Amino acid sequence: MIDFKHVKKYYPNGTVALDGVDLHIDDGEFVFIVGHSGAGKTTMTKLLLREEAVSSGTLIVGSYNLSKIKNRDIPYYRRELGVVFQDFRLFPNKTVYENVAFAMQVVGTPRSMIKRRVPAILSTVNLADKIKCFPRELSGGEQQRVALARALANNPKIIVADEPTGNIDPKMSIEIMNLLMKINKLGKTVIVVTHEKNLVDYYKQRVVMLKDGQIIEDRVGGMFA
Amino acid sequence: MRKHYSLRYFTKLAMTGLWRNGVMSVASVAVLMSCLVVLGCFALLLVNINVNLENVAQLNQIVAFCEYDLDEETITNLEAQIADLDYVDSVTRVTKEEALQEMQEQSSEYAGLYEGITDENNPLSDSFEITYEGTDETQVYDLEAQLRSMEGIRKINSVYQVAKTLDNLKNGIMLVFLWFLIILFIVSIFVIINTIKLAVYSRRSEISVMRYVGATNWFITLPFILEGVLIGVFASLIGFGVETYIYNYVENMALSDLEMITILSYGKIALPLFFGFLVVGIITGIIGSVTSLRKYLKS
Repeated sequence: MIDFKHVKKYYPNGTVALDGVDLHIDDGEFVFIVGHSGAGKTTMTKLLLREEAVSSGTLIVGSYNLSKIKNRDIPYYRRELGVVFQDFRLFPNKTVYENVAFAMQVVGTPRSMIKRRVPAILSTVNLADKIKCFPRELSGGEQQRVALARALANNPKIIVADEPTGNIDPKMSIEIMNLLMKINKLGKTVIVVTHEKNLVDYYKQRVVMLKDGQIIEDRVGGMFA
Repeated sequence: MRKHYSLRYFTKLAMTGLWRNGVMSVASVAVLMSCLVVLGCFALLLVNINVNLENVAQLNQIVAFCEYDLDEETITNLEAQIADLDYVDSVTRVTKEEALQEMQEQSSEYAGLYEGITDENNPLSDSFEITYEGTDETQVYDLEAQLRSMEGIRKINSVYQVAKTLDNLKNGIMLVFLWFLIILFIVSIFVIINTIKLAVYSRRSEISVMRYVGATNWFITLPFILEGVLIGVFASLIGFGVETYIYNYVENMALSDLEMITILSYGKIALPLFFGFLVVGIITGIIGSVTSLRKYLKS
């Protein structure tokens, strides 16, 4: 469960990035966050990842109140999330297996469990045959699927995808979106931040539209107006 | 869930970091090593000055020189007067003939200098070697004043004054070295900070992914702190080697040329010096790393 209550976010230069946002997302929902540049999408993502703290209001994600969370608890909160970025952020000198395993290593997962789990996750994203490849040997869509596998590595409850199709061709974009839908069907909450109208319109999921830091539309089965 | 981190994993990351920023790593080790060598020289110099000071102070001796051409009776009287003074333990007369002989023996390689000097034209005077009880400063000064005021005494040489001069010299050296050391340590901490910052910069994308997948601060920062520790360890090991060479060189030189100076054997001080280097090196390394990682430790 994600709950934004009158969330405001100001930056030190005076910019009001979010201006009294109220938003409730239930467990297992699939939500598009849409809007043009400067609408507040990135800030919303940063607040969810707890890269930034809210200026006022309350933001609750699962059992964590991000308005009051202590610094030492942030890493444990982030383990509840899986993040996918537009630029993939893979390690070029690590294989597909190592890139996914890395996310598990840093949270102290036993090696035996990593050995069992990584191939299973790579099968979920249809990359079982690329396990020994390096990112440079993969297409953009495949690299994004590795990033998705890494996001799933620690079995998070929520997946936040920030412009996941921004760097890949339309055919691959559909593939990535289908995977995100599949992950959602497995019971995970999926939040996709995007400005790609066609994709949003095609999938007909809940759409939250931002403009000037405020929600101007929130509709299930909505379109990118 | 039980955590499965290994020191090997962190050490490997730290070594990779050092290797990637080779020039800065070498610079950090070199500066910290120089710092430790100076610190070592300073410490060893002080230890040796203290040993020599103790030796000098333990002599408790004043030498009083008689006026020239005093007759035998006056000198004998003087000896008796001195022996009666407060705090005096013993008085030994050294005749000018004995003094000349001793001087000739001590400087046998310059025998030519003493050619033509005989007991008849001996330029020296008789003297008394006086030992006293206790080392209380006022007592020694009191005794020195009484000796100076005695008729027939030309001058006095007090090892107490030599000891005081050496002590002042030691304090002066300490002050100069202390400032020098502070500056060197600040420089080496800055160089280490830069090295670690470069290491952090070269791994920034890795760090950002670590943070997003929920790595704790200590997991992210430990390899960098270890990098600082490794810089400290390398600097102290090399520094100890350099210090050993310097000390042995000085010891050999001092033993052959300056026999009056006591030099402590290196075997006695090597172990404390080694651990001192290691501790100071590692602490400096950690201070450097932690300072450059403050930003990461906070957020």
